[in-house]
Amino acid sequence: MITGAALCPSPPLLCPELTGGRAVAPELRAACREAVGRLLREDPEVVVIIGPAAASGPWFGVGGLNRSMFAPAIAGTGSDSPPLAIGLGSMLLDQAGYRGRRSLQAVGHDEAASVCVKLGAELDDPSTRMALLVIGDGSARRSLKAPGYLDPRAEAFDAECERAIRTGDLGALQRLDQTLARDLMATGWPAWQVLSGALASLNPVAEVLFSGAPFGVGYLVAYLHPCSLSAPARCLSRTVIGRTTTPAEYSTLMLTSLL
Amino acid sequence: MAIVNRTPDSFYQPGVTWDQAAAMDRVHAAVVDGADIVDIGGVPARPADDVDVREEIRRTVPFIAAVREAHPDLVISVDTWRHEVGREACAAGADLLNDSWGGWDTRLVEVAAEFGAGVVCSHAGHLPPRTRPFRVAYPDVVEDVLTGTLALAARALEVGVEEERILIDPAHDFGKNTWHSLEITRRLGELVATGWPVLVSLSNKDFVGETLDVMVDERLAGTLGTTAVSAWLGARVFRAHHVRETRHVLSMVSAIRGDTPPACAVRGLA
Repeated sequence: MITGAALCPSPPLLCPELTGGRAVAPELRAACREAVGRLLREDPEVVVIIGPAAASGPWFGVGGLNRSMFAPAIAGTGSDSPPLAIGLGSMLLDQAGYRGRRSLQAVGHDEAASVCVKLGAELDDPSTRMALLVIGDGSARRSLKAPGYLDPRAEAFDAECERAIRTGDLGALQRLDQTLARDLMATGWPAWQVLSGALASLNPVAEVLFSGAPFGVGYLVAYLHPCSLSAPARCLSRTVIGRTTTPAEYSTLMLTSLL
Repeated sequence: MAIVNRTPDSFYQPGVTWDQAAAMDRVHAAVVDGADIVDIGGVPARPADDVDVREEIRRTVPFIAAVREAHPDLVISVDTWRHEVGREACAAGADLLNDSWGGWDTRLVEVAAEFGAGVVCSHAGHLPPRTRPFRVAYPDVVEDVLTGTLALAARALEVGVEEERILIDPAHDFGKNTWHSLEITRRLGELVATGWPVLVSLSNKDFVGETLDVMVDERLAGTLGTTAVSAWLGARVFRAHHVRETRHVLSMVSAIRGDTPPACAVRGLA
């Protein structure tokens, strides 16, 4: 049973040790803490970290971010370094004090959408309370000073991702153009496909905790939970109408169910 | 090595030598201030509007010819990754090909051999020209720099570039975050130990800005501090915007090391 999913980006600057003396992006870091905190409040038995990487597959090595790869002055872990997204996901769990089981799942940048979605759909295990920590980034071409320079298509691409997640319309993520995502350096694309496969059929309710591109890379932090878990009345309402609701309709339904 | 950008949009003082007369004035001033080399570039390193081969040649080659005429003994370097530009530049009088993008165009070094020119072998972190580093990570950045630059130097020798005309450059900021650039500075001695002369390009770069948390117009002190450390560790060529200040730093380091005497020492000696 999937208890919830936290969506966080993977800039190395999330790691305080890598950014020197000044607190960089405090709002982003706080949003990630909040998303992971909500994930853990559902008391999962295992947290599955899903992140993009060069190739798909479970990661069995040391999970933590190898800081020395980015800052040689910092002592390294002395072992194989996990993909950045996996390492940062592990770091976020460590920061939250999580000591329970974790499973690390890399998804290849060039994996077909159908494979990613299938991977997500097969994650759920009815006998285990499972939380998903999905690591993925929007376009790295959001501004003139962005790592990939400005691409005028980037903002609309990221906006569509945000809309899909904010409204729980995760099926829309599966329609995102992979080639365009690659052009826009939107490295989160495969992880979003997995998220879609895992949660699309569960009518998730989402809250976006951060959305922006302060360094030219689209960062989206959100928390999603299957609505049947903590708001049965809302789920009932959504099931009754039998289709995805608009935010306005949904607010009305929430009010109705509370009354 | 004085930087002379024939661009309207480089990161430091954009457009200041876009006009050819202003660029020539800059060359004259750099020579007076102590530059041994001028490095003429027609394309900014950062991503921006496309500059094709024809436009890069238009920006740089006639100017190189003019500088050659005005300063017959000055070493002229051209900052390019393209062999077509290198060929025209050498034909116009350039002596050195500053290949900042690490051998991206494998034919550039062949042009150096053909014209008896020199070549700078740089480590650009495996990035294509005009791209920014995005979450770059290295098990050991200095090892990667050594592997990359030594391979380029070996190829330069192999295709016929004269040994004394080859330099290596760890290329601060190129394919590196600030920590990486600090590391290659701290361990510059490992590059010097290879025996190849080491060029460093530090001037007003982002790693200085991020280390000091200052904008681009406040990076001179940080640049000069890094220049002094690099000189102490054995770097031989310094690509710089501020020629006079850089020359002073190098003269101080040289005197401290005991390599050269003070220009004028009378204090306590009268």
